[in-house]
Amino acid sequence: MDEPPPTPEHGDVDEAPQRRRAWAGPWRSVVLPLVVVAAIVGAIWYIEARGLPFVESGSSADSGGYGPLALPPDRNATGQDPSPAQGRAAPDFLLETLDGGTLRLSDLQGKAVLVNFWATWCRPCRSEVPHLVAAYERYRQEGLEIVAVNLQEDKDTVARFVDEFGMQFPVVIDRSGDVAEEYRAIGIPTSVFIDRSGVVRSIYTGPFVGQQSRQDIEESDLAQRIEEILR
Amino acid sequence: MAKAQTARRWAQTARELDPLRAVWRLFTSVRWALILLAFLALAGLLGVLLPQIPGTVRGDGAAVADWLDVQRGKFGVFTDPFYRLGFFDVFHARWFAAGLGLLVVSVTVCTANRFFPIWRTIRHPRRRVPETYFQRAHHRVEFATPADPLALEGVLRRRRYRVERFQEGETTYLFADRYSWAQLGTFVSHLALILFIGGALVSKFTGFSEDMFVGEGTTAPVFAVSNPNQMQVRVVDTVARFDPQGQPLDYRSELAIYRGGEEVKHCTTTVNGPCAYGGYRFHQAAYFGFGAELQVRDLRSGNAIYNEVLALTDFMPAPHVIIRDGAGGTLMDATLVLTDFVETAYGTTVTIPGTDRTMWIGVRPDGSSGRLDLLFFEPGQDPDAVRLLLPEGQRAGAGGLGFEFVSLQRLPASFEPDFPLPPGEATDSTQGQVLLEMSNVVYGVEETSSGKAVAVSTQSGPPTLSVVGIGPVVLNLEPGQAASVGDYEYTFLGQREFAGIKVKRDRSDNLIWVATGLLLMGLGITFYVPRRRVWAKITPERTYLAGMAGHLANLRKEMGKLGAEAGSPDAAQEEERDGSP
Repeated sequence: MDEPPPTPEHGDVDEAPQRRRAWAGPWRSVVLPLVVVAAIVGAIWYIEARGLPFVESGSSADSGGYGPLALPPDRNATGQDPSPAQGRAAPDFLLETLDGGTLRLSDLQGKAVLVNFWATWCRPCRSEVPHLVAAYERYRQEGLEIVAVNLQEDKDTVARFVDEFGMQFPVVIDRSGDVAEEYRAIGIPTSVFIDRSGVVRSIYTGPFVGQQSRQDIEESDLAQRIEEILR
Repeated sequence: MAKAQTARRWAQTARELDPLRAVWRLFTSVRWALILLAFLALAGLLGVLLPQIPGTVRGDGAAVADWLDVQRGKFGVFTDPFYRLGFFDVFHARWFAAGLGLLVVSVTVCTANRFFPIWRTIRHPRRRVPETYFQRAHHRVEFATPADPLALEGVLRRRRYRVERFQEGETTYLFADRYSWAQLGTFVSHLALILFIGGALVSKFTGFSEDMFVGEGTTAPVFAVSNPNQMQVRVVDTVARFDPQGQPLDYRSELAIYRGGEEVKHCTTTVNGPCAYGGYRFHQAAYFGFGAELQVRDLRSGNAIYNEVLALTDFMPAPHVIIRDGAGGTLMDATLVLTDFVETAYGTTVTIPGTDRTMWIGVRPDGSSGRLDLLFFEPGQDPDAVRLLLPEGQRAGAGGLGFEFVSLQRLPASFEPDFPLPPGEATDSTQGQVLLEMSNVVYGVEETSSGKAVAVSTQSGPPTLSVVGIGPVVLNLEPGQAASVGDYEYTFLGQREFAGIKVKRDRSDNLIWVATGLLLMGLGITFYVPRRRVWAKITPERTYLAGMAGHLANLRKEMGKLGAEAGSPDAAQEEERDGSP
């Protein structure tokens, strides 16, 4: 048997502890609820930012060393920082080619380069490809290089498309999307026309369309831009 | 004295005017929480009863204006005020989010305010009560002390009470407590409510939803152009199953999900069983069976210049016609693919089998009703040449032949404005567009991929694609079949189906599940765990019980039972009395 506690002479038994309590000072009445709210918000934020351990999480693509690169100063003809803008040196990048090799943009200096951002799922891109193929056939002997930068697709899908459409120019895959981001390619297709010294001469967003005959190619906006960078 | 009273009144007034306390009083009020709940329930009702701006329209000023114009027919002058008040977008309105936020604060403050007193009563219960409590308690009984004064303690222990006994002279005091932790049940329910609201806010501010319409064998991106988390979804195969009446039973698709250039998931999605990857769910939301894959190749280079899976979302009329000879023998029984356009009529030139007669058969809208009638026109000046107009379901004779317009069917079709034409060729009959019509479409019975041609067939055989507008000739291509026009080769690669895929990410799902579990647990504890607290004073003559329980418990009756079980001769009377004194 326990030691009997003293019998209270006064005071009621609290039969309803769940009723509203009196003001208990700013710490307990204000700060504590705020801390609880903050803890709940923090927990929700954590779940949102990190995910729950039992939820299968996908990680963003590992660039594997590919992506935008710093342009060597001796390859920058403008003296200004590279930027995807007319009159500025084209931002450099290193990407994987379809055959497993690599392509660095600045290695192509001396040639006129058309960097085309595209994807097989993009219908305007698909409609544009035959025109790029025709333009490449027409101007490659004059020093044109087309670099088709595919956005984040798998190699097999791209290779099938490249083979079917007869794309003879280099096709590289921007797995992380960082190069497209660097070039601010907010829509595709986007074509960046770079002259022989590595300077951006024009940028065009949208597909070049028209018939594929050589005569049509030479009269097209695409040809005018190519001829500008070939000069 | 008067001065002191005045000072106290001023202090009291100052306390009441303290804005911090005023806000605190508001948020600790259960009435205020109920008002908020009622407000949100009303808002939810409004959001369900009134049409809400579709997600595809939200944020596009012009599209919203068009949508409002449609609503004006129903709501008249109230349309604009309703829009400004957010009644057409309740669940995205700021006032709705503010209401949810206030409710979170209110529930949290209420909970924090009441937690410590309740915790104290659980951890440090009052084991002795004033003598007067046995005369004033809400739940109390008294009865003759049983022959064995300790019998009551045994009864309490058998009923899972934790019992403490104290002795003072001849009087024994008991303190019995059962399931005191159940008082925390309301906090569990409150936490569930907060998580529900948190889930709604997570869903509102961070949820992602995208509808994709992807043809078999094709890929579509989940996000806009370059996104570090970009994923592509390839529909490898999509299938619909139908019952014998043509009602859909099930849609399912085999998907390949790619990220960073690698296939990261290969799975099957159904309407109720989505694929999941990276916190995203890929639901089968729709199915469309009328698609065609068409390739165009430039014969000079050998390269493909066009390869598309096209959704044939339009329909073209296709009349089912029977032509009989004079003796009633059937010469032709076919559903015609109409390829010519003459003013308001669609038709095609047909050579009647077994004869050398050729006529133009087509449909033309009736001037008054708009109904499509079947027109038979045989060229030439012969007085017996057929000139006939037949409504659907009727038959007539002309030129020695019998004609019957059995029914008008519809063929999946599409007008393609950017279709590659061979250099030098131009479309004429379709205003610069190429018309694609597919007959013998596989659809509507069993599994669409089974290859059984039904419903909109023109005759038995595989799906056939008619390409109209590439020069003067109509190309009728079966799967795998190619035809050359000029330097281009056109190949129908086959019928393709489309899957409507809804990609969703909503981490609130997890919160909602947790909240649901907590709510059920909280309610279960509150309503089904019989928490009790009883004090007993046992004198040699009389036993007094007083206690506390939840609102729904009839503790007085229960205490009477305790006494009866302990052997009290008159406790049964208390047991039979219902309610509190």
